[in-house]
Amino acid sequence: MSPLLMYQLVALLLLAIGLYGIVWRKSLVGMLISVELMLNGAGMSIVSASQLTEAGSAVGQIAALFVMGLAAAEATLVLAIIIVVAKRFKSVDTDAITKLKG
Amino acid sequence: MMETLAKVAFAVYTLLILGGGCIAVGAHSLVRAMVGLISSLLGVAGMYMLMAAPFMAFMQILIYVGAVCVLIFFAIMLTQADDHGVEAGNRRPGKSALSALIFITPVFVIGFILVKFQPASIDIPVEVPLVEIGKGLLEDYPVAFELISVVLLAAMAGAVLLAFEQKGKKGRKAS
Repeated sequence: MSPLLMYQLVALLLLAIGLYGIVWRKSLVGMLISVELMLNGAGMSIVSASQLTEAGSAVGQIAALFVMGLAAAEATLVLAIIIVVAKRFKSVDTDAITKLKG
Repeated sequence: MMETLAKVAFAVYTLLILGGGCIAVGAHSLVRAMVGLISSLLGVAGMYMLMAAPFMAFMQILIYVGAVCVLIFFAIMLTQADDHGVEAGNRRPGKSALSALIFITPVFVIGFILVKFQPASIDIPVEVPLVEIGKGLLEDYPVAFELISVVLLAAMAGAVLLAFEQKGKKGRKAS
């Protein structure tokens, strides 16, 4: 088993755990946690693909840095949305938030 | 000797990542789930170290563990998610089977492709000097670099606007 494959498989398992969590979780915060897990798997996969092959290493690290920046932006926005939803519906249960405006 | 140590470190980090991930997904208390997420993030930082990318490891700890996790803790605090909250309640029957079904297909497809078409791997990765990353950011990809700053600024401004939205409009009907 090559080192690249081992790193990629761990990243794939992170994706699997995140996908499982995003369906299984009932609250919005739990889903956010699962999304962070998946993004981490993506970053790890990118960095391993650039560090352990002949491809340019700097490009991979830059790409992973962008993933981190986007994850931070996404987490801020999701936090704001969760706060608004919690204020309006008094709950963050995804089964309870079913009402549409109209 | 070093090779054995590297393998041991890889195994420890893998355990940290997978165990933390399972806690992050399975724990009933969201705060415990966050502890799992943090251990998983630290495991990924260790993996970056093993891949000879220490800068990425520091950024991982700084951005994810330092910033994103604190943000999520704020989200937990502000929504008052406690042990007897939403996550502790019963789920619809068959939900865990459904969740398992969701991840099995993509993971098996990607895993099959990974194992089938393995590119040649370098055994010992080389550390990239930080100068090269900086040059790449500012000389090769300046537009992407500026755009991510704009995106971050827009996200922060949007978050503040969203969170304070209802303060000014008290008269509007809630929910």
